[in-house]
Amino acid sequence: MTFSLTEAKLAKGALPYHVGGSGAPLLCLHSAGGARLTSALERLAATRTLYLPVFPGFDGTPTQPHLRTMEDLAGLAAEFIDNVVGQPCDVMGHSFGGWVACWLAVDHPDRLQQLVLHAPAGFAPDGAPGLPTDLAKLRQLAFAHPENLLPDTRSLDIHRSNRETVDHYLGKKTNDRDLQGRLGDISALTLILHGTKDGLVPVASPRLLKERIRRSHLIYVHDAAHAIDVDQPARFVSLVEDFLAVGEAFIVNRSRDSAA
Amino acid sequence: MKFNFFHLMPWCDANEPDREWPVSNRNFVPEKGTDLYRTYIDTMIYAEECGFDWVGCNEHHFSPYGLMSNCNLIGSILINRTKNVRVAMCGNLVPLLNPIRVAEEYAMLDVMSGGRLIAGFMRGIPHEYVAYNIPPDESWERLAEAFDLIVKCWTEPEPFGWEGKYYQYRAVSIWPRPYQKPYPQVLMSASNPDSARFAAERRAIMGMVMLPDLDAARESIRVYKETAHANGWEPGPEHILIGAHTLVCDRAEDAKRYLGDGLDYFYNVLAGGPRTAQRLVVQKTRYYQDQALQQRSAARRGVLKATPIEERIEKGMILCGTPEMVVDQLKRMKDALGHGVMNINMKIGNIPDEVVRRSMQLWGERVVPHVHNL
Repeated sequence: MTFSLTEAKLAKGALPYHVGGSGAPLLCLHSAGGARLTSALERLAATRTLYLPVFPGFDGTPTQPHLRTMEDLAGLAAEFIDNVVGQPCDVMGHSFGGWVACWLAVDHPDRLQQLVLHAPAGFAPDGAPGLPTDLAKLRQLAFAHPENLLPDTRSLDIHRSNRETVDHYLGKKTNDRDLQGRLGDISALTLILHGTKDGLVPVASPRLLKERIRRSHLIYVHDAAHAIDVDQPARFVSLVEDFLAVGEAFIVNRSRDSAA
Repeated sequence: MKFNFFHLMPWCDANEPDREWPVSNRNFVPEKGTDLYRTYIDTMIYAEECGFDWVGCNEHHFSPYGLMSNCNLIGSILINRTKNVRVAMCGNLVPLLNPIRVAEEYAMLDVMSGGRLIAGFMRGIPHEYVAYNIPPDESWERLAEAFDLIVKCWTEPEPFGWEGKYYQYRAVSIWPRPYQKPYPQVLMSASNPDSARFAAERRAIMGMVMLPDLDAARESIRVYKETAHANGWEPGPEHILIGAHTLVCDRAEDAKRYLGDGLDYFYNVLAGGPRTAQRLVVQKTRYYQDQALQQRSAARRGVLKATPIEERIEKGMILCGTPEMVVDQLKRMKDALGHGVMNINMKIGNIPDEVVRRSMQLWGERVVPHVHNL
């Protein structure tokens, strides 16, 4: 599956995005590592049209002065859905992108259908450590199986710059109290994925989300760290595809006949 | 020192060594089985009266070696008929079972007993994998994943799902949750350095039974403590369980004779069928992760079977004799290993049940008063 990189002209400025696949649209909001194409996303693209916008400041793009917060980025994502996707769609956010996806679900509920939160950041308990600045340490905490990563063509400077861009939006914030107070407003059916070896997001975070998002499922993926799509791509794809395809019936073990 | 009265519930009417696997049940007599269960359960209940701190069950399949294919059924009875003893499930054989079911049944036992459960997470001996048609190569990975899943079942405050290599569940929320917080004390076998490391990483009590000699036990304890320190915790004596075949009689020669005969029956009759399956598993799979461990395990079995009873006593492999002799043997073993829990198995092979009961009585009256404060 090949993805193409193109650019959307939005009222809030130009927004580059990767697009690939065929089928119902799935908006993918990237992590603090930038828009990374993984084998899991490639597999999802077999049944879905994937859109991966690159948030301003990531992957070598400039930041925009009027976009300073996660809520601002959620507004940008909503505009992207209106102008590029053209219809309400399923949304999947990873880590930093999961944080944005939650704001999107709170502020713009009519833009999304089902929501997948892949190791979302922003809900750590008080006093939890923030994102490390040391890239080697970050990599160690993010991946249980880094050998699964596809070759990355981005330079070390891009990776450093991505890390700095996170501070542009968050400062030292690891805990979004405003958003936590509004999680009960999320009406979309939500799948929360957490790796049992996640070294970046404490387990209290998915528990909080599960408790507060009324229609949600929390799944622990064994032997996966923060990037579940990299560490356990087959399990990740199976979960996401099944959830998006059948919604609440996702908890039922269906035979091949009933799946057909 | 705490003491666990452990019972295998053996079938005692198998008259000749069986070499086949599985062992045919054509000679099982249900009426005798009814009497045996009644006797064995009464014996285990009696352990509380005799000063034991725990009563222990375990799980075995497809042979007269043990009649507890589901030891949780027995544990449930013990809980109901005892007041204070802890009930140690020295099974379940977790890689063979549905982990959700294990989590649920252990939680039931823990709640019904008011927090008296010791939760055994055993890998199982090789022949059990043939019985339940589970690839022995997967035993360690299954045990590790099942442990993580069961702890999640016990500790998650909200419904959750699990996506693993061996186990997948989309929506789990067990009722009841366990009584003990954060969850019941876990016990694991640690009879070699690999299993000792595995237990220490999970803060489990390490259990070693059927010791070939004290040096092997010391090595496992060293690895266990070293791993515990590397994982940020300090094990105490209460985290080290040592098992020994035990018989206390009024006269030393009776103890040696009964235990000697019982051990012969145990190794030569009851263990025959399981040994056949074990040989096939060890030859054809990676149940043992490396050749050296496989050879050590085979050597250990050979030593256990061939060593004369006097030498077994001397080496600290068994406890046998008058109450005074057993007190001395216990003290020597404690000095050598520094453990805080002993697993006492008195029903070895076909030792008569009245002899076992007298041994328990002597234990309570003339052994316990001298060793409880060890």
